[in-house]
Amino acid sequence: MKFSSVILCIAVTLFACKKTDTPEQDPTKGLTKLTEGFAAGAAAKVEVYTKETAVTSGYTKLYFALYDSLSGKRIDEAHIQLTPMMDMGTMQHSSPYENPASEMAAAHLFTGSVFFIMSSMGGTWTVKIKVHNHLNNKEGTLTVPVTVNEPPKPRMKSFTALHDGSKYFISLIEPSSPKVGINDMEIAIYKKASMMSFPADSSLSVILTPEMPTMGHGSPNNVNPVHSGNGHYKGKVNFTMTGLWRLNLDFMSGAAVADSTQSFDIEF
Amino acid sequence: MKKFFFIITIIFFLLQTQAQETDAAIHKDSNRVVELSEIVINSVKKNPQQQLIHFFKSNNSSTLEDIMSRLPEVSLMRRGSYGMEPSIRSFNGGQINVLIDGMRIHGACTDKMDPATIYIEPINLENLQVQTTTNGFMSGSSIGGTINMKMAEPVYENQNKLSGMISSGYQTAAKSFYEAVKLNYSPGRWAFRASGTYRNNKNYRSGGGEIIKFSQFEKLNYSFSAKFQQTKYTYLKADILADDGWNIGYPALPMDVGYAAAKIASLSIHHEQPSTRLYKWQAKIYANNIRHYMDDTKRPFVPMHMDMPGISKTYGIYTEGELNIKSKQKFALRADASSTFLKASMTMYQAGQLPMYMLTWPDNRRNQYGISASWILPIDSSLKAQINGRADLISSSLVSAEAKDQVSIFGFPSANRTDLLKNLSVQVSKSLTGKLKTTVGITYAERMPTAGELYGFYLFNSSDGYDYIGNPKLGIEKSLQAEASVLYGWEKNRIQLTYYYSKVYRFITGIIEPSYSTMTVGANGVKAFLNIPNASVSGVEASGIMNLFNAVDLMTTVRYTSAKDNHNNPLPFIAPLKNITSLRYQSKKFSAQLESELAMKQNRININAGEDFTPGYFLLHARFGYNTILFKNNLLVQAGMENIFDKEYHEHLDWGNISRPGRNMYIQFRVQF
Repeated sequence: MKFSSVILCIAVTLFACKKTDTPEQDPTKGLTKLTEGFAAGAAAKVEVYTKETAVTSGYTKLYFALYDSLSGKRIDEAHIQLTPMMDMGTMQHSSPYENPASEMAAAHLFTGSVFFIMSSMGGTWTVKIKVHNHLNNKEGTLTVPVTVNEPPKPRMKSFTALHDGSKYFISLIEPSSPKVGINDMEIAIYKKASMMSFPADSSLSVILTPEMPTMGHGSPNNVNPVHSGNGHYKGKVNFTMTGLWRLNLDFMSGAAVADSTQSFDIEF
Repeated sequence: MKKFFFIITIIFFLLQTQAQETDAAIHKDSNRVVELSEIVINSVKKNPQQQLIHFFKSNNSSTLEDIMSRLPEVSLMRRGSYGMEPSIRSFNGGQINVLIDGMRIHGACTDKMDPATIYIEPINLENLQVQTTTNGFMSGSSIGGTINMKMAEPVYENQNKLSGMISSGYQTAAKSFYEAVKLNYSPGRWAFRASGTYRNNKNYRSGGGEIIKFSQFEKLNYSFSAKFQQTKYTYLKADILADDGWNIGYPALPMDVGYAAAKIASLSIHHEQPSTRLYKWQAKIYANNIRHYMDDTKRPFVPMHMDMPGISKTYGIYTEGELNIKSKQKFALRADASSTFLKASMTMYQAGQLPMYMLTWPDNRRNQYGISASWILPIDSSLKAQINGRADLISSSLVSAEAKDQVSIFGFPSANRTDLLKNLSVQVSKSLTGKLKTTVGITYAERMPTAGELYGFYLFNSSDGYDYIGNPKLGIEKSLQAEASVLYGWEKNRIQLTYYYSKVYRFITGIIEPSYSTMTVGANGVKAFLNIPNASVSGVEASGIMNLFNAVDLMTTVRYTSAKDNHNNPLPFIAPLKNITSLRYQSKKFSAQLESELAMKQNRININAGEDFTPGYFLLHARFGYNTILFKNNLLVQAGMENIFDKEYHEHLDWGNISRPGRNMYIQFRVQF
């Protein structure tokens, strides 16, 4: 008797739960709004979000939410093109970036990225956002300033390759929340073609050697990052304990060494 | 854990109320009960092993380790002056069971610094059983045998009086104090027993005069038992045993032990009714909790401070019974289940950095369900056969996401497993003449890999200097064993000679994994646990107990073991030929004993395991006892000198070649009231 009433209670609770309408979750929950503005001409309001609370030098994902500037309704179909620019007073340069790959928003967000290759210490960063609103077939531009800080532990490195003399920029993307165990490892590599052009690189191979500098040991069964598209290299890194880890990276072009001096520190 | 004790208490009181409703005529019959329980003890004491234990237990300040080391079947692996790890015929660790009153207890130390034998003081010990080959697996699948320490029980005495014993001793080598007290009180159908032991050892002085640093220890052991005679044939018993050790030095290891604490509790029901078919049975529920904390804060030149806590929690239940079936045939049955949770971690600290934390025993649980049966059938008046069998269903699993993540690093996405273990033995004994008896047995046994062997994560072994990594896919170890023994007994004399041979298949050992980098600073490399095709262990044990003259007894034991792997390399930690001989004179008031210990050199060594040659040694000990009456109480004074020649020596199984204590004089007093 008692038992059946308990079951009844549970059933009622479950049923009640299903009936209540869950409001649509805010797609920007957990993200930080970097800035917002109007892309004049496209009749679109642009909101720019990041995962991090503060932008730091290195590969940074940018999330764009678009609204009709009059009705305030979401715009889920648009073509967004980015142009990052560093103004150092005497000179200007751009940086590697990724435009949102799709013209359709996923969960109302368009995702792109900018790899800020230096902090705002040396000048002023802006990102020009060109929006082609597919709802009204109009185009407009918004330029936002971005303050880029130095991260506590560098997320990006650059080197002049031994094999071709070109300058390469690399940034650590994953692990972003490291744990003891197997972690996804992801880096992005871009080659500097000119001050304004940093194409994604797929020509290098990467050798990953994690190490605990204070203990002098590594970890087993790591998987070297290999190119998976658009300059992104994916592998696995294993951490056998918490603490300070150094991910040593050797970059090879075929059998030739491009660079063997780079590393990223991760502490958790 | 608290919940469990609460349940135990509830059950206990429920049973008790029920018991009070039964007839109260039991009081007059309590004498009979005493007899019954004494019969049980005597039946165990008959064999030479029990005689040896009884003989060596008579030295009051002996630790359980002292007593065990004198049994031919047992060797002790020594890492410090405390917490020596027992091995039976060179089988150790997961190859043997170490039980307290049939209860499973798993150490909480990844370095095996806390074998269950440390929780029993001789004052708590009613008897010690070392079961090998044919009987070795009856209370748990095992290829090496079982050490079962039966705890002392409260005693019903004629008058409702308080009786007890106080004992105190001092030893010079470690400037050690030993204090013990035991009380027994039996009002009506109840009987209570309480005992406590305190030991305080300083760094000991080895032969030749060197003080061995970090060999100190301090411990307190206390127990409480209550017994209630429910009916003429049935009694209930509750036991609580606690052992707290602290500041325990391990000179052979890079770390000491800050504390090692055990809480052991059980509730049992015992029934014994000689004339009935099921003439004896008992059932017990139990729980234990072990905490262990390694400590390096007292060591000089520690490159990096680390904490290494470990915890082990086990609860279980078992029932066993003995039946008379037709024509003197007997049948014994046991069913048991237990569940053990283990977790150990290590945290290292480096100034200016976040702490480095890892699980050395990733959180894991082992559930075990077993059933065993033994059939004793007399074939004729001189020929007796015994068939034993046991099956265990064991599931092992990692129980936290953290643990799973860690073990997955080695390519084991799932580390959970379930195994069925089977054991079978046949033993035949034949009385050739009235004095001569031979016993032959063959055994097939299996054992589960330990939690450390399955899930261990960079467990540093300071003997060979390697970090060990577990392997969740290890196969179970299997063994085929044969044993033959001859017992010749006349009057009060017994001579026993035993030969045994064990072939172990899928022998579990650490194999160097060159591709892995070490975790421990300064380690030689990494070894992963693997099954090698086979290994074999064989040996001879002999013991003689002889009554030379009226008051003079001679006891001597000899043992020799030889063990090798599938490439004929010697297995590590095999004790050399060893003889212990004691000559004892005992009159009513006075006893004197001369004891010699002789070990041959060991040059069959395994270099890969970090072993080196161990020279032989000869030791002589002298012991005296004087018994008198002081204020109507029985006073026993014991004094003696161990290692009279102050020989500097170590045994082959001692890690780090740390010298053992040199000349040691002791004196102790025992008052019984």
